[in-house]
Amino acid sequence: METRVAGVPEDEESGLLPRPSAAGRRAASRGPRLQPPPASWATVDGPLGLPLEEAEGHARRFFLWGFACLPFLWAINCCYFWPVLRSPAASSPAPFASIRPYVVRSAIGFTIFSIVLITWATTFIVGGERLFGPSWNDLVMYNVAEKLGISGFMG
Amino acid sequence: MADAAAAAPIAGDAPAGTTVLDSLGEDVTRIVYPVSACMLLVVLLVSLLSSPSSPSPLSASIAAATGAGAGSGGDDITTALITAVTFVVAVTAATFLLALLFYLRCTPCLRAYLGFSALAVLLVLGGQVALLLLSRLRFPLDAVSFALLLPNAAGALALAALAPASVPIALHQAALVAIAVLTAFWFTLLPEWTTWALLVAMAIYDLAAVLLPGGPLRVLLELAIERNEEIPALVYEARPVDPRHGRNWRLWREGRQPHEDSDAGSTVEVIGEVLGRNLHSDSPSQAHEAATFAGDVNNPRPRVISVATLSPSESTAPQVGEVPPALQEHRVAVAEMRVPLIQPRPERSGEEEEDEDGIGLSSSGAIKLGLGDFIFYSVLVGRAAMYDYMTVYACYLAIIAGLGITLLLLAFFRKALPALPVSITLGVVFYVLTRTLLEEFVVQCSTNLLMF
Repeated sequence: METRVAGVPEDEESGLLPRPSAAGRRAASRGPRLQPPPASWATVDGPLGLPLEEAEGHARRFFLWGFACLPFLWAINCCYFWPVLRSPAASSPAPFASIRPYVVRSAIGFTIFSIVLITWATTFIVGGERLFGPSWNDLVMYNVAEKLGISGFMG
Repeated sequence: MADAAAAAPIAGDAPAGTTVLDSLGEDVTRIVYPVSACMLLVVLLVSLLSSPSSPSPLSASIAAATGAGAGSGGDDITTALITAVTFVVAVTAATFLLALLFYLRCTPCLRAYLGFSALAVLLVLGGQVALLLLSRLRFPLDAVSFALLLPNAAGALALAALAPASVPIALHQAALVAIAVLTAFWFTLLPEWTTWALLVAMAIYDLAAVLLPGGPLRVLLELAIERNEEIPALVYEARPVDPRHGRNWRLWREGRQPHEDSDAGSTVEVIGEVLGRNLHSDSPSQAHEAATFAGDVNNPRPRVISVATLSPSESTAPQVGEVPPALQEHRVAVAEMRVPLIQPRPERSGEEEEDEDGIGLSSSGAIKLGLGDFIFYSVLVGRAAMYDYMTVYACYLAIIAGLGITLLLLAFFRKALPALPVSITLGVVFYVLTRTLLEEFVVQCSTNLLMF
């Protein structure tokens, strides 16, 4: 495809036909010089997802906001950056290294949250009144809804 | 596929070789899937949750408000017409208000309102539906988990609906469908005649609002086209068929010299898809292809709309900016303001440099369908489900056929069209015919063991 004339600096043709980039060439040096697109995409949407330079900020934001009792943001983080999560730590491309800690911690956070929640919910469902006594009826959602009067569909 | 075959000669001025037919079917499919999923979910919810014997509080309140208590508890034609007309008037006023706000460029208040509306629908309506399901199915979820899960899920889905750039596309589309399902379910709680009157009134309103010169939706669209901005509204956009080019391609393209074979036809779609010829892809063959399309701006992926409209305006503007990312679109709109129309990418009115805010250029990506369409289709099918499944099948087929016809018309006229009228008309006609004629026939055949 490209038979480059020797001595021609790369810049001149960097805009014409992108070549698959080596993992090293990164988003950092954008600007007038056109980098070829990254060889691998950070998000699960591939070319339609976030560009790499925004990905790290995004991952960090979602990770931090997840602490505000919003663990689903952690789940979204994990799902969105699935390629980053799945790439083995040793050989992941360079840009992933900055995103990876946040995604991994989000994954851990979401796992802990879901384990706790599922354990509690299962105990509640399986244990029933035998385990909790009469207070089970006070905690079950449909009773609570009826007590509060919100189980009918509002107008 | 009839659609594709019919659309191909219409879009014949596109130089597209095989790509027109290749991607057109997939485009249509990617719009039909979510519409069908939305309808299916509403039918499921209606089957699980509705008890036709007890009038819902909604019906009672409407009966009280309109003061007609005679006979069938407020479910007569007069009440229905009054309610429907009131609703249409409210929607018209709201749309004019939206147009006014858009004209005055106060997008923050629009966005805030849309955000509030999406969150309210998901939290309140979603919570109600969840509670109804729990009660009906007697699923012993405890209050603590429920209180933890509901705001969380509502917040995550609202975020997904409002900020498509930060979540996976699938989640964003799922959030929009969820909002549509909840709103449609809420509408099915209206009394029967009111629902039908409302549907017909909304179809007529949609037709008038989009096509008449003074209609609010048309005003809004023209404003948006003129300014090359996106209307903040809830709009479902199908994933582009060709995901080769992404937004980040566009970004790194920014600093470069205009090439003659560049973007002419491409558009960055809402979800940051880029349509695109202009992006030089990573293969030499594509670059070559792009070069051969230099003169012809038409994107061979025929978002039916794009085609010919592009060429005159685009050919001199190789530098056409890509549409910017997503962040402006997909604002939540209030229930009435979910623009009930199907919208192609309007053509660029002139040459512009890369414009972060442009409306999707033609030859853009996927078809956009307003969430209001989803809602009213599902309301129709949901109401049909309250009668019998036979009507459900008939109305579903009618609506899909109507959608196909609308897409054909879209290919033909190449501008924003109302998506409600054709489908609702066919749906209502089929419902009436099924209920009066087909049911008799099928029941007689079954009881006489002729056909099951």
